[in-house]
Amino acid sequence: MKKRKLVALLAAAAMFVTMGTGCMTTKATDSAGSGDGDGKTEITFYTYNLSIASQKEAAQKLIDDFNAQSDTVHVTGVAADVMTMQTKIQSDYAAGQTFDVVQCALNQVGYYVDNYKLPAFEDVAGQAAFDEHMEGFAENAKTLGQYRDGKTYVLPYTFSTPMLYYNADLFRDAGLDPDAPIETWDDVKECGLALKAAGHEGVQITATGDGYDWLIQAMIYSNGGDVMNEDHTEVTFTDPNTVGAISMWQDLVKSGAHTNYTDTEAQEAFLAGNQGMLVTTAALESGLISAAESGGWELKAAPFPSFEGKESVPTNSGSGLCIMSSDPEKQAAAWEFIKYVTSAEGYTTITSMMGYLPLRPDIVNDERYLKSWAEEHPFVHTNLAQLERLHRWEGFPGMNGGQIGTLLNQTVTKCIFTDCDVASEMQTAQSQAQDLMP
Amino acid sequence: MAELTISKRQIHWQNGLKHLLLILLCVFAIFPIYWMVISSFKGQTEIFNNSLLPSSFSADNYAYALEQVDILGMTVNTFFMAISQAVLQLATAIMAAYALTRWKFPGSRVIYTLFALTWLVPIQATMIPNYTTLVNMGFRDSIVGVIIPNMASAFAILSLYPAFKSFPKALIEAGMMDKMSAPGVLFKLILPNIKSSVVSLGILLFINSWNEYFWPAMIVSDQGQATLQIGLRSFMSAELTSWGPLMAAAVLASLPILILYLLLQKQVIQSFVKWGIK
Repeated sequence: MKKRKLVALLAAAAMFVTMGTGCMTTKATDSAGSGDGDGKTEITFYTYNLSIASQKEAAQKLIDDFNAQSDTVHVTGVAADVMTMQTKIQSDYAAGQTFDVVQCALNQVGYYVDNYKLPAFEDVAGQAAFDEHMEGFAENAKTLGQYRDGKTYVLPYTFSTPMLYYNADLFRDAGLDPDAPIETWDDVKECGLALKAAGHEGVQITATGDGYDWLIQAMIYSNGGDVMNEDHTEVTFTDPNTVGAISMWQDLVKSGAHTNYTDTEAQEAFLAGNQGMLVTTAALESGLISAAESGGWELKAAPFPSFEGKESVPTNSGSGLCIMSSDPEKQAAAWEFIKYVTSAEGYTTITSMMGYLPLRPDIVNDERYLKSWAEEHPFVHTNLAQLERLHRWEGFPGMNGGQIGTLLNQTVTKCIFTDCDVASEMQTAQSQAQDLMP
Repeated sequence: MAELTISKRQIHWQNGLKHLLLILLCVFAIFPIYWMVISSFKGQTEIFNNSLLPSSFSADNYAYALEQVDILGMTVNTFFMAISQAVLQLATAIMAAYALTRWKFPGSRVIYTLFALTWLVPIQATMIPNYTTLVNMGFRDSIVGVIIPNMASAFAILSLYPAFKSFPKALIEAGMMDKMSAPGVLFKLILPNIKSSVVSLGILLFINSWNEYFWPAMIVSDQGQATLQIGLRSFMSAELTSWGPLMAAAVLASLPILILYLLLQKQVIQSFVKWGIK
């Protein structure tokens, strides 16, 4: 009996050792596979799109399509977990084993340039070749990856702007005309109150809680306010227009036109067909369209609303690509890959399969690329038209930049969902944020 | 006689109330699992409504989840990681606790204090040095790299220490008189007598390892080496969570651990009670 137990234990141990060895062997094979057996330069691409089930196919297609058409470069995609991505990049950098091409948030350009030795695209590609590639790129998107020295270190890649989506059926039920334009926040308030009176939920601007501050910044810029001074040395949370924007938002909530939900709850209510309006990223659009189709309700969209007498100023969410390799040969290979994924072909895949905005707007009118897709997705034209008024999503400088963004988010959330005095809350936040500035 | 009847009635009522409370608590505990299962069968139109049953059962979420994520492979990886970590942590804890309680040697108190202190060090403080070391050792993107820094656990050592400390010295001395070696005393005398503590701690270590997310996500990028917790995360993005497929994947991922729980129900409960963790 004891002997049997011993044999069973040994068998189990052998199995585990084999599995462990298998894990290591896989790794070894991968490493061997990354050599340049067929004469191509091997590079790695660290992207979170590969780790998201709904975006994986598109991200892999971009890589496969590039590999199929390139005679000189082979790219291996590496899935990045969004939660641990920053830590892993930092740890890899410390270990001297960075990935060659890395996807990063577009408000982190300063952080990446300050902390990692990134080469500028103008230096890797040469000014003329870089300028040639950027022809046809949305004018306001060209500068999003530029650093203080005027050079581009991050090339915009997946990208979206905020839009107002609404449920036309609920509008009709509330006695509203869904075809009447919704242009200003006053219009939004009026519709929200009518929806509320009809027993539905009004609007939610999905920029509360601990998420990113990009949409809060859009609200502030749209009212003529700012979050920092011009040379990014001081935060300007007490700017009268900044305070005014948040006060208007607080009034939306107080009046009942804006729901008292978390962003997730509001998003889920909208997807279920119970929420009238949602101000959110256009990256959600494909999910909203399929929810409306399967729920049997009509989805409509309007541009990011404006303050009375002012033009709305949307910001951008999304990511860019930077080169982290210090090897000139790999840098050149990385440029070839980045050129491809940000080309007309690349954006055809990105927009039609992932739902992000094509940063080469002309391709929505080109038969070879997105014309037929755009005819089926007319909201893309509304979205592209906003690019002309785009303001960069600013990242706060220094190592505490993320903390300042979180502080802004938390303060705004407190302001809009309570009766507090907005000016005094923003004053407190400004003092705290200023202490965190470099 | 009348008093006795009243008292019996009272007991009856009290028992009824107790059972009612227990039933409510059971519902409270079971409802999230029930919700996960029925949500996994709901179509997109129903996923956000509050109906307790889907209007029609659809397996689409399961098909999508299985297509997007290699659940079986990830389950194997997770079992390998969790069992290896639990066994290794248990082995190192047994030896450390035995050494610290069996012999008096210079620095033993300092070592014990250091173990206690390492338990208080957050992962954020150690992860970059650990990661750098493992990358230099060639364990990047390998499940073995996840296990190596978790081969010893201060929690396990500190948990077993009292069990070893309270073991009667007279029995050990009797064993020594019978010419038992030090390993003999450990394996033939002490361990059989504190078996329940060791097994219950082992179960707890296994469950802790099974639920680990951050460190495996740091080390592993290759989906072929990923664990279930990483796989589940792939249905969530900054913009939207695919609740239907996520619930389907969660059902599939929790099946092995649920089966294990049904088989080892007594021991699992005992371990939770013993170590005061729910």
